[in-house]
Amino acid sequence: MDFSWTPEQAQLRSAVAEMAEGELNEGLAERDKRGEFSREGWRRCAEMGIHGLPVPEEYGGASAGALTTVGVLERLGYGCKDNGLVFSINAHMWTLEIPLLAFGSEEQKRRFLPGLCSGALIGGNAMSEPDSGSDAYSLQTTAVLRGDRYVLNGNKVFVTNAPIADLLLVFANVDPERRPSGVTGFLLERDTPGLTLTRHVEKMGLKTSPMGELFLDDCEVPARMRLGKEGAGQNLFTHSMTWERSCILAGAVGTMERLLETCVAYAKGRRQFGQQIGKFQLVATKLVDMKARLETSRALLYKAAWLRDQGRSIFLEAAMAKLQISESWVQSAQDAVAIHGGYGYMCEYEVERELRDALGSRLYSGTSEIQRSIIAALMGL
Amino acid sequence: MVPKEQVQASVKQFILSEFLPGEDAGELETTTPLVSAGILDSIATLKLVTFLEEQFSVQIDAHEADVDHLNTVEDISNLVLSKL
Repeated sequence: MDFSWTPEQAQLRSAVAEMAEGELNEGLAERDKRGEFSREGWRRCAEMGIHGLPVPEEYGGASAGALTTVGVLERLGYGCKDNGLVFSINAHMWTLEIPLLAFGSEEQKRRFLPGLCSGALIGGNAMSEPDSGSDAYSLQTTAVLRGDRYVLNGNKVFVTNAPIADLLLVFANVDPERRPSGVTGFLLERDTPGLTLTRHVEKMGLKTSPMGELFLDDCEVPARMRLGKEGAGQNLFTHSMTWERSCILAGAVGTMERLLETCVAYAKGRRQFGQQIGKFQLVATKLVDMKARLETSRALLYKAAWLRDQGRSIFLEAAMAKLQISESWVQSAQDAVAIHGGYGYMCEYEVERELRDALGSRLYSGTSEIQRSIIAALMGL
Repeated sequence: MVPKEQVQASVKQFILSEFLPGEDAGELETTTPLVSAGILDSIATLKLVTFLEEQFSVQIDAHEADVDHLNTVEDISNLVLSKL
């Protein structure tokens, strides 16, 4: 394994971090309070080519490998404190672009991917329902073929980007008796008749990433908008989730690095009992653990991406990366609050927001418990 | 070229040991449905794909990990052989 960056990769990583630091953080504390998505930030990231990194050039992307992609996203997370914006970009890439690329018809890919890569279109997917979360394939939304159209009925929750999305990948069952084997994916444009965004959901963290619920009431979708074959939904979702688990927290690795640097600087500058607080072993230990978590997270992130670039399936590695990075991010953000003491609890220091933003990572893309179950099964247990 | 019988035997052995422990090997025919009968669920499919890629040094594409390609030992063997 070789994780050294070529001059071109290093230049891109550096440019992204510089842009993010200089252009994506202004007014964040206020936007976080208002739960406001940054369209300008979205546009700037798209201009840098971030949205289309793993998509082939012929569809408007950058044809970057997985390792390059996570390497760039890592630097985006380092420079950009707007974790909600980074999350929205990730949802757009892994839950829509990637399955569209793997399962879409040539017509679908040529119609939608260029706009998704340029940022002109905002995307996401709709899988979870009020009664199906971790047990995703027990979804109740149905799709019935009538002539050249499918009629969808159901309710979707926790849909990232829903309030701002132009295109969504919606999962429904075409034959509930076949259970998981009936689950099928459909591409729905925002103005599809019968598709309604029923409410904007407020969250604990990642507040600048809009989330909503969908209601499908006799929603008519042309058959040509089905993604893949009937019954391919499980396969499609597995593919999407494997990419997502291996890449979605690349930005969090950069965030952990930024947090660590902030905390080291604070521990050197803050004095109590006549010395720098970093000289106290109990504080230093937290910083050492943050460093170890950062390095192990980065190693797992890079390894999974490198294996993918070798053409290997990475179900195990993706689950391990997701588990390790999410748990590390939460613990390190918690340590960052502790190191800052009372100031860490105050919003103006912007450390408490990092903890709120980190907590969701234990839940989305499969909870830590689900990741452990996958890892255990793939270990032969 | 690896003989088809050898691929089938290897796949059958893996399925018996991983997903049907203690079952009579004679009950698993090359045409026994695996996906539609619930023997291969989503996690089991991940294990099978990982096994096939490592055992036969092949790459299973995302769209191939479905009932059309993995429902029986015969289907699985044909998929592997098409890549060797």
